[in-house]
Formats: sequence, C-alpha cells, structure tokens
Amino acid sequence: MKYISQFFDIVLRELNIIVRKNRIYGFCMVVFPVLLVVFFTTMLDDGLPQDLPIGVVDHDNSATSRSLIRNLDAMQNSRVVYRFASVTEARNAMQEGKVFAYLYIPEGTAAKLMAGRQPDISYYYTMTCMTAGSMASKDLKTISMLGSAAVGQATLSAKGATKEQIRTALQAVTIDAHMIANPQGSYNYSLTTVFVPGILMLFMALLSAYALGMEMKFDSGKEWLARAGNNILVAILGKYIVHALVFLLVIFSYQYYIFNVLHFPHLGGVWSIVRLTLLQVAASIGFGIFAISMCGSAFPVAGMDPPLQAMSWLFPLRHYWMLYQATVLNGFPVIDVWFHLVALVAFTLLPWFVLRKVKIAMLNYVYIP
Amino acid sequence: MSIFRKLKEHITDVLYVWRQEMKQVIRDEGVLMFLVIVPLGYPLLYSWIYNNETLHETPVVVVDQSHSALSRQFINDCDATPDVDVKYYAADLDEARALVSRQLAKGIYLIPSDFATCINRGEQATVSVYCDMSLMLAYKAVYQTAMVEAGRLSAGLKIKKAGNYTDHENSITAQPLIAHDVAMFNPSGGYGSCVLPAVLMLLLQQALALGIGMSAGTARERNRNGQLIPDDDPHYRGAYRVAWGKALCYGMIGAVAAAYLSMAVPRMFSFPQLADGKTLLAMLLPYTMACIFFGMTVSCLVRYRENVMLLMVFVSIPLLFLTGVSWPQSSIPGAWQGVSWLFPSTFGVRAFIRVNSMGASVSQILPEIRILWIQAAAYLGMACIVYAYQKRLARKHVKTVTNSTDLIEPDDQ
Repeated sequence: MKYISQFFDIVLRELNIIVRKNRIYGFCMVVFPVLLVVFFTTMLDDGLPQDLPIGVVDHDNSATSRSLIRNLDAMQNSRVVYRFASVTEARNAMQEGKVFAYLYIPEGTAAKLMAGRQPDISYYYTMTCMTAGSMASKDLKTISMLGSAAVGQATLSAKGATKEQIRTALQAVTIDAHMIANPQGSYNYSLTTVFVPGILMLFMALLSAYALGMEMKFDSGKEWLARAGNNILVAILGKYIVHALVFLLVIFSYQYYIFNVLHFPHLGGVWSIVRLTLLQVAASIGFGIFAISMCGSAFPVAGMDPPLQAMSWLFPLRHYWMLYQATVLNGFPVIDVWFHLVALVAFTLLPWFVLRKVKIAMLNYVYIP
Repeated sequence: MSIFRKLKEHITDVLYVWRQEMKQVIRDEGVLMFLVIVPLGYPLLYSWIYNNETLHETPVVVVDQSHSALSRQFINDCDATPDVDVKYYAADLDEARALVSRQLAKGIYLIPSDFATCINRGEQATVSVYCDMSLMLAYKAVYQTAMVEAGRLSAGLKIKKAGNYTDHENSITAQPLIAHDVAMFNPSGGYGSCVLPAVLMLLLQQALALGIGMSAGTARERNRNGQLIPDDDPHYRGAYRVAWGKALCYGMIGAVAAAYLSMAVPRMFSFPQLADGKTLLAMLLPYTMACIFFGMTVSCLVRYRENVMLLMVFVSIPLLFLTGVSWPQSSIPGAWQGVSWLFPSTFGVRAFIRVNSMGASVSQILPEIRILWIQAAAYLGMACIVYAYQKRLARKHVKTVTNSTDLIEPDDQ
C-alpha cells in the first residue's frame, strides 16, 4: 500500500514537470511527433516520384524519334520538359539541376533502323539523387526496348506472323511480378514506417536520458528519491510510466492514422501492431535510462558523444524494424524473428542493471555546466 | 564624438565579444564537442557505414517445377549476376515462403512446370517473382535481375529461330536498336556517394547551430538573471556588434569545419569529388555565414543548453529530405518547398552536390549562391533584432522575477 501511494506521488510529480514546468517535453512528446507524421505522409503522398523532368536531344527529327519522345513523355514517372540543341547544353541543364536525365537520338537513327544497320541511341541520367536517377533510367530503358520491339514487330507482321507469334518472338519469357504487401511499390509505405518510428524511438531514448540528466542538473534527484521512499525501483517506474503512457498514446494515434485512414498495408493485423508498439516504447525508454547512466554519469546528455547517440538509437531501431517488416508488414509468424523480440525485451530490462548506479548518482552528483 | 573614434570603439567592442565568445567555447566541453568532435568524427562514422555503397548478392530462393535445361539455364544466369545469389531451392511455394519468413531469402523465383514446354511450343512462358517489399533496394535487385535475364533468354531464343549466317546478323536480330545506358556523376549508383555530400553540408549547419545554441544556453545559465546578453558589460551595448563579434568566433571554427567536410572527408573515402577550389569557396562562404547567423537566430529560443540538441535531432532528417537528395526536388509538394526556403541547408546542399559531385561551375549554381547571400543577410538582420530584443528584456528584467515556470532556478556560478 505504501508503495502504491509513493508510486502515484511520483507519477503526479512527473506529470507536473511535463505539463507545467519544462515545455520541451510537450514539444518532444506531442508537437514534434505530429509534425513528423504530417511531414512524411504529405511529402511522400505520391508514393512514387512522378513526372520527373527529362530533356531530349533529337538530331534525327524523324517520325520514329518523335514517337520515342512522345512515348517517353507519356510514361508515368517522366515528363519531357526541355528540347536541347546539343548534348553540351543538356549536360549543363543537368548540372544546373533542371533535368534528371536526357535522351540523345543522333542523326540518321530512323534511316539506319529501317535499313537494319543497328543505330545507337544513348540516355544519360544522374545518380546524385538515386530515386530520381533510377526511376528515370527505368523509363528510358523501357522506351529504348520498345523502339527495338517496334522494328521486330513491323518485320514479323510483314512476314505474316500472327499476334501470338509476334509476342512470343519478341519476348519468349515474361516476368510476372508479385510485390508482396506493397503492390504499388510506394515509398510512402516503406519510408514513413521507418523514419517516423525511428525518430520517435530516438526521442524516447533521448528524453528518458534527458529526464534523468535534468534531475541531476537541478539537483532535484534527492527530493525525487525521498518522495519514492528511497526506493529507486518505485522512483524509476513512477517517473517513466508517465513517459511511456504519453508515447503509447501518440504512437497508437499515429498508427491509427496510417493504417486506418491512409490504409498502409499491414498483413500482420492489429495484435502484431499492439505487441510491437508496447515493446518499442519499453525498449527505447529502457535503453535511454541505461545509456545515460553508462555514458552520462561523468557529464550529462549534452556531453554524450553524438556518434554514440546515433548508435544508441540504431540498436533498438534495428530490432524494431526487423519485427515490423516481418510481423506487421508481411504477417509472418513471430517465432521466425524471436531473436529481435527477445532483444527488445532485453533493452526494456537494461535499467535493472544500473538501478544502484542511478540511485548513487541522484544522491551524490554535482552538475558542472 | 568623431567618426573615427566611434569606428574604433565599434571595432574594439566587436573584437572584445569575439574574444569572450572564443573563451566560452573553449571552456565548455559540450560546445567544443559539437563544434569540433562532431564535424570531425561523425562524417567518418557515416562514411564507414555506407562504405559498401551497393547491395550485392541478395539471397533468393528458387522453386523450380520445370526441371528442364531451360529453367536451369535461367537459374544459373540469375545466380551469375552480382545482385542476386540463388541460395536455396524449395520444393513448393509454401516452403519458399517459410524461408522468406525466417529472413533467409528476400525473394522467390517460381518457374512453373510448363516453362520449357511453352517455350518449345512457341508460346510465351512466365516466371513468377515474389518480392519482399520491406527493403526497396533488395526488391529492385531481385526484380530487375529476373527482368534482365528473362530478356537475355528471350533474345537467345530469337537468334536460334532466326537462322542467321553471321554474328552481326545475330546481334541485329537481338537488338535492332542499341541503347547506351550511362549513369553520370555517380556511375556505380552507390548510396554513400549519393547521400554523403548532402549529409556533410547538413552537418555543417547542424553542428554550427548546435554549438551556437548550446553556448547561448550556457551563457544564459551562467548569467545572474538568466539572460542571453550580459546587461552589465558596456562592450555588449550594440546588437550589431554582438552579432559580428560572435560571427567572427564561429566563422573561425566554421571555416575549418567547412574545409574539412568539403575537401578532406570525400577524399578519405574516395567519394566523387569534381569541385574546383574557387567554386567551392564561392558557395561555402555564403553558406557558412548563413548557417552562423541562422544558428544565432535559433539560439534565442534556447533556455537550457540540452534543449537545442532535441530540436536539432528533430529537424535533421526532415531537412535532409527537403534538400531533394533522397526524394527528388521536383516531387516535393509546394508547401514544403516553401518551408525549405527558410533553411540554409536546402541551398547549401544542392549547391554542394552540384559542385562536388557534378562538377558545376559558379554560373551553374548562381541561383543557389544568391539565395544563400540573401539568407545570410536576412538572418544577420534577424540575429540583430533578436539580440536587441534580448537586451531590452535584460534591462526590464531587473524588476521581474526570473521565469517562475523553470524547473528550478538556473544556478549561477
């Protein structure tokens, strides 16, 4: 009974800090996550980049070259926005960032094609933005294959082949692609679901470390411990249950939004999402507490080595992502990724090992800015 | 007072603030960490993570129900590519799915039992490819390899049927129109070469903003009244002088960091580097200045020194997206394009990628350079305004009690 009243006392104390005393908690727990969700879901709303600006250098000016360009313009991911007089001009435009790719059709292409003298065309694309570069190159590749096929088709139909025969002759083996759980190949489904939880996990870990650091910085650790009856377990649980509940609420709202409103794929169903979220929150907070007391007892959060900060979120995030893609996205049985589940549980339990250290720090630590 | 005396006094004040700021930076472990260790160490870690550049040998499981020479040829061809590794054979689709579930394979090639029969009969044959979509890079490797190899197999069959006499005829049959595929400026399509230049420039802005913000937080915590600008020191009387004095201090650090990030790091990891010195200077000078004044403006929001870190952590990944390095600039929604104009990193990164990776000249990045100069001037103005405002607050402050909302009064030492 005594523990329960102490526990609630700590909960109220933490609520007071979060709501009234230090506004950064409100920002990091509610405002920033909401902004992040809005940012990523609106930014990647198209799913795939569409109408990428592409230039053409057409020295042939024939019906064939024009039809190639028209076909390119009609592709979903590309749009022909410039016609350049020379390749140099096209390369300059690429360096100025006006186009991501250009197609070069030299003089005499159509004539050589008709005469069976194997003409060359070239397409150039920049890989400094990989998404744009690979999308544009895919469209350009398709266009040039269609150009080849058009010739074959004309020859074969002149020889009197049936449609069936032409199709087989041009492409004897076809690929029937099944893009499991993300049939549109949408980047929104694959990037939003990594970056938003990733940054949230980083926030959870940093904020739990920050909260301990602040107790040391303002020398309020003794009072905190005293109110928990000098029981470090009650103190930690009471303090972080508030963080955990707020973050759970935020993450469940985020998931409601992406899975129910935006209809992101989730073959794993509700239970896998709930289980993963609980683990995600617990592991991140556990890791944060552990990290600050390992790295932060000499100097507080701010002094932590940033690569280490990067690492500290990389580790639980890695396991989160493995679990996410296996159980939520693809709906595979959790037993196949049991290791990552155990890892997250282990992160949750990490603070157990440093409880004594935290207690000592709270009682003795002096903050030097 | 004569104009010369005034000028001299002005310069003395600027130099005094410079000295004070420098002293404070050196004394503060946290600030030093962000201004020196982060720009030095972080790019090394990041480059190290992405040093492998591309994904090779994605594991794939094959379900071969055809058991024919043609199906084996197709499997061998796929296995021989650098992108795909045929690691497992499964008896049926369920077994293959179990392998994907256990994270042992990233995709399934299913060759149906009528594969060879169809081809020999002169009908189209189909290979089904099932991709795990959790990793876009893996999906591309699995899918594109199958596409390319199917195309090659088709071309081979076409040549056999054509009954040509010479190799040249065969080549024309297979490919009446040759298309040259040229990837420019990052020919291997490496992920590190693509993202790292952007990260380097963003890092310069983030490190400067963090350092300036944290040092402002320290100044506030050390100040008796929790004020950013000391109200009792005559040298701090003009906002303009304070801004320039601080800018000189951070300019020194920023110049070294910028040179290291733009020239040394890409060389160490042999990332593309086509920049020439003058062009680099023409873009880094306004960029560093814009970053410094941007950092000063932001630093006025900082109450505790640790808070600035949370803020910067929050913005860094969205800022990277806004530069257009991972999501093409032409596909960024208009509203976000507008937001991106507020940050120096947007234009600094774009200009740097063009100069460093694409070998652009000054005239080709002129729009970016102009915007960076405008941003530098605008943020200098903003910094002066907020410093003047902080000074007013400091004067008023004597009457009012320090933020009653603080966790505990910042301790004065």
